Amino acid sequence: MFLDPESRWARRLNLILFLLPALTIYIVFAIYPTFSVVEYSFTDWDGISPERDFVGLANYERLFTDKIFWAAFRNTFVWSGVIIVINVGLGLVIAAMLARVWKARLLLQTCIVLPVVISPMAVATIWRWMYQPTGVINQVLEGVGLGGLATPWLGSPDAVLYALALAHSWSTIGLSVVIFLAGLQAVDENLYEAAHVDGANAFQSFRYVTLPALRPVTAVVFILTLTQSFKVFDIVWATTQGGPVRFSEILSTYMYKRGALENQYGYGSAIGVALLVIVSLATVIYMQIQSKEDR
Amino acid sequence: MKNLASAGAVFAVSLAFPIMSIAQTEVVVWVAGEPGQTNVYDDLAEAYNAQSGDVTITVVKNSSDLFNPALIPALSAGEGPDLFSFGTGPGQPAALIKGGLVADLTDAYFEHNWGDTIPEGIVMQTSSDGKLWAFGNEVETTGMFYNKAIFAEHGISVPTTWPEMEAAVATLMEAGYDTPIGLGAADKWPVSHWQSMMFGRYAGPDGIESVLFGDGAWTDAPFVAAATKLQEMGQSGWFGPTPVAIGYGELMDRFWAGEVPMTFTGPWVIGGGIAAAGDRIGDYSVFAVPPFEDGQQIHPTNSIGSGWYIRESSENKDAAIDFMNFMFVATEGRVTLLNAGTIPVGPLDAALATAEMPPLAVDIWKTSDDHAANGTVPAFLDTITPGSLTTVSYDGLQALLIDYMTPEEFTAEMQSAWAVSKAAGEIMLPGGIAER
Repeated sequence: MFLDPESRWARRLNLILFLLPALTIYIVFAIYPTFSVVEYSFTDWDGISPERDFVGLANYERLFTDKIFWAAFRNTFVWSGVIIVINVGLGLVIAAMLARVWKARLLLQTCIVLPVVISPMAVATIWRWMYQPTGVINQVLEGVGLGGLATPWLGSPDAVLYALALAHSWSTIGLSVVIFLAGLQAVDENLYEAAHVDGANAFQSFRYVTLPALRPVTAVVFILTLTQSFKVFDIVWATTQGGPVRFSEILSTYMYKRGALENQYGYGSAIGVALLVIVSLATVIYMQIQSKEDR
Repeated sequence: MKNLASAGAVFAVSLAFPIMSIAQTEVVVWVAGEPGQTNVYDDLAEAYNAQSGDVTITVVKNSSDLFNPALIPALSAGEGPDLFSFGTGPGQPAALIKGGLVADLTDAYFEHNWGDTIPEGIVMQTSSDGKLWAFGNEVETTGMFYNKAIFAEHGISVPTTWPEMEAAVATLMEAGYDTPIGLGAADKWPVSHWQSMMFGRYAGPDGIESVLFGDGAWTDAPFVAAATKLQEMGQSGWFGPTPVAIGYGELMDRFWAGEVPMTFTGPWVIGGGIAAAGDRIGDYSVFAVPPFEDGQQIHPTNSIGSGWYIRESSENKDAAIDFMNFMFVATEGRVTLLNAGTIPVGPLDAALATAEMPPLAVDIWKTSDDHAANGTVPAFLDTITPGSLTTVSYDGLQALLIDYMTPEEFTAEMQSAWAVSKAAGEIMLPGGIAER
């Protein structure tokens, strides 16, 4: 009548039962909405009416001729590129430096990680104030004799995207640092000692010991940063709403404008699907490159 | 026996209390807007709750940006507020109506004689297919708020002609004010107040109507001229070196702090201004922007603020209607609104007799009334045009201010978006409700 607790079926049932709550939540709140968005992208739904008509690929055809979509597409790549350079590149350097610091390491680590727990809206508000023409950043630049670099950060077509990416990185780099630090703790100290015996300097140790040892961790940080940066909405919306004009328009803000503000949920969903495809492709390509290098 | 009776009475009372609390009806009201503007609804709810007995009004306030994204999913899920304020333009209300999410208020209109309070022009904007969908409760206007103390210090009189306006700005710039007229253009929508006023000045009420309801186009000469003038003002530094880098909130802080002499805005800032400026609030007043060109008339801006809708699936429709009557029809509610600087629709004589309006509110409405005979134009074109046009206008106005777009390109983009919306039937049509 009852399954033998040691049997294969019993173990499988156990596994399923333990997975079920999390799986249910994941299906309801992640998988189902994703498929719904794909379904909406083939309709002309306004987001409110009970009726929606199937329009085939019309929303996707529109993407190809929508110049604002392509501007947002380009901006999203620049945005993600800047954030990846900072969060992966600088994050690794900071982690490597922190790993060598013993005094006040916890304090420094806390300072770097603290912004991660601040609400994105609060981050946006803080940086919006700092980036005002008379804000603290321009005041500091003028104070240290670099007044020539002072600029209206959020109103400058050339600077706005980079300024916002920097603000986003400030609030997220702590996570990269923590992951890298965890990876660094797993690196065998004997490798460093061997490198030292072979006459390697600090940079050479980093280049030939740390970097290869951290390759799997770097892949995790890269993919996390990439997906997070593509999904960002709040900091851009709360500071510039994609402006001035469309110079900080990224795909997520454009999707929101079309979908939520203009009641074009069908088209907004198509933008969302495009975003999903881009992130998935970028992730797969990166993982392929990684796996080739590992081989 | 006596003790037994007392115990029975206590028991009965203890039973009655939960029943009384269950019988209490809660009407949830969502209000969108700036804090200074929406605080009055807390006062109204408190006054209503004190006298209503079995109905409790709960007011939930949210900023304009976050309001719609929260409201629409709530309504679509059959939940959300019983009563809410919402735009009255052709885009989103039409979708709410089409989706069956808001209640038909036509019966209430006749039952409560709302026709005595709501002007026909506002009923036209809140009705379709012969049915009333919203109570258009307030009229809004815009004007040039200015710091009288700064003007007096530099010997500037209120300008009544464009050369005087130019001279005033020049004097202020010479005096070191790098932003003579504040404009928080990072938020985009404040620029549309200039756009609405200037389009109205250059095209007149007929010119605006010819586009909204006729064959006119946003590319017509008056609109191009208005956009050109706005761009020239920006190029001349009237709005400061970088208006698109400054948010509306930050700009208003600078205005109330006395760092910016003028800003073009509306009465919704008065509540916040009184809190920010304190005793110095007497330093501020309002004037009508003088005609931009010779022979041009001043057309005051008048728009319906927002409309009040009742959720179709609400079980508290009667209570919600009763609260609307209290706010917008009963003298007590109208006085409360006036005291907060909000002008309710309909005859004001009874309310004005006891109201103590902030002087700034009196100033801005006097400014509007002085020129009302010339005909009024919409204060907020962005609320009566489709969302897609609003997006194009907001981006285009910023583009004008940073010289990224010419006035011709800007108006052409507007017209292009307008034509698409018009073809899709998304534009506003004249309304009206069926007579009974």
